[in-house]
Amino acid sequence: MMKVLEPTEIQEYDVDSVAIRVFLKALEIIGGPRKLIEFRNLTWLPSLMSASYAVVLLHESAKTEDEIAQFLGIARNTVRNILRADPELVKQRLSGELETPKKTLKAHTAGGLAKLAYQEIKEGRDYLELFSHYIQTTSEIYGVFWPIEILRRIKGLDFPITVEQLLERAADISIEDKKLSELGERLPKEIKSPSQLLKAIKEALG
Amino acid sequence: MAKSKKNIGQNVFNDYFTFVMDERENVVLESISPLKQSLKEAPQLEGVPSGIEGVDELFYITKIKDGKVIKQPLGGFPRYAVINVTGVSDTGKTLMAEQFAIKQSSLGNTTIFVTVETTAPFVSASLRERASAMGINPSSIEERIIIIDAASYDQLRDDIQTLLNTLAYSIKKYKAKNVVIDSVTGLYEAKEVMARTIVRRLFNFMKKWYQTAFFVSQKRSGHEEFSVEAAGGYAVPHIVDCNIALAKKSIDSSYDERLYGLPIGEIVRLFRIDGCRICGHDTSTRLMTITETGLVVVGKSLKELKGGGR
Repeated sequence: MMKVLEPTEIQEYDVDSVAIRVFLKALEIIGGPRKLIEFRNLTWLPSLMSASYAVVLLHESAKTEDEIAQFLGIARNTVRNILRADPELVKQRLSGELETPKKTLKAHTAGGLAKLAYQEIKEGRDYLELFSHYIQTTSEIYGVFWPIEILRRIKGLDFPITVEQLLERAADISIEDKKLSELGERLPKEIKSPSQLLKAIKEALG
Repeated sequence: MAKSKKNIGQNVFNDYFTFVMDERENVVLESISPLKQSLKEAPQLEGVPSGIEGVDELFYITKIKDGKVIKQPLGGFPRYAVINVTGVSDTGKTLMAEQFAIKQSSLGNTTIFVTVETTAPFVSASLRERASAMGINPSSIEERIIIIDAASYDQLRDDIQTLLNTLAYSIKKYKAKNVVIDSVTGLYEAKEVMARTIVRRLFNFMKKWYQTAFFVSQKRSGHEEFSVEAAGGYAVPHIVDCNIALAKKSIDSSYDERLYGLPIGEIVRLFRIDGCRICGHDTSTRLMTITETGLVVVGKSLKELKGGGR
């Protein structure tokens, strides 16, 4: 009998966790949940969640519009509007749209936001607050504290960032008996995401 | 797509952790490299034996010696190529896939066999039979062919990312060198509109993991019989590196009787390499037979047949 891969070895793709990451990033793009509360737009959340799933199901799981509509329990046309949204257009319109309280979020706006968020996630820029939280948990487990401190210092910076921006805020941080300023030359000039930053520092340490 | 009862928070954490640790995430800048650098990293062009009699010498490289062009056979499919074989039913596609997997595993190269059409026990039995026919002890290759049963487990067939994750796991765990998928058509059944997307994902995956891959594609009744068009249109052949078209032809004229040396009403099978972007290849249409023990053998070209004898 040939070797057959066991069912337990099937590496099931977890669409839920990726959709949640996209959803959270979309929230971050529009200014965080507090901003939605402020403008009385919390009713947008279900549409944003649907759009996040739709974008992930299309790009990661290669699902058709019909399959996505069936999974989310929404009309196929709504799915189509989500998936055909132009993220750049949404980006431009967003501020005005957000400031006018609306009970429902238009499918194309939700789609554009979800697409923007998905692109950000693919480039390694997750919702920074959450990223920092999990890094903190991991760092505590392994007894390595510099990643927490670095993420705390760069809070509020928009990625990509330059080494100069990084050093401006965190040059004095000690990492394994070295100051971050000593590692500056070994870091890429432009850093795309928090994860790339931490990896680059780790590599610079040798 | 069924929602699992897993702890979503834990999964988010796992994703983040993998994301931090996985160096492959940041690829955009690295994807831009000067030609000189790319050439340094380019794999050597060499052949991997196909296990199909008559095929290995049909792929070649050319060299110039003393001002003359010399063809040098590769001795198999080009390594790291994604090869796609297309044909109607009963043309020998699966047999070719099995022979390739068996030959490679007998050479010590672990091969992942993704079965989308037939469940694992039947594929296993078929592989054993084929190995015996090839003169290879089935026990000697049992550990080197890893079957992924996408026919039995819907999530592998229905979610491309689950299949790719499982393939990545298997390649790492078993140090695989080759991947066979029989058939890619089964991965986009009833949604051929996604054929291009799915095959592109598979193709990119095989390149990323340096696999020599053999895809089987099925034809629909409306397709031109001896072309590489398959389910999903021409999407599949446009993406892959090499295409092989298989066809069946009935002997229905006295000209055919003379050409093929078979009586009217019989069936002949035909083989043609329909393109290979990696290396030179034979372009003729060739007679293909399936032996009594179920092995595909590629024979003479029709041009040679016309010149006399089978």
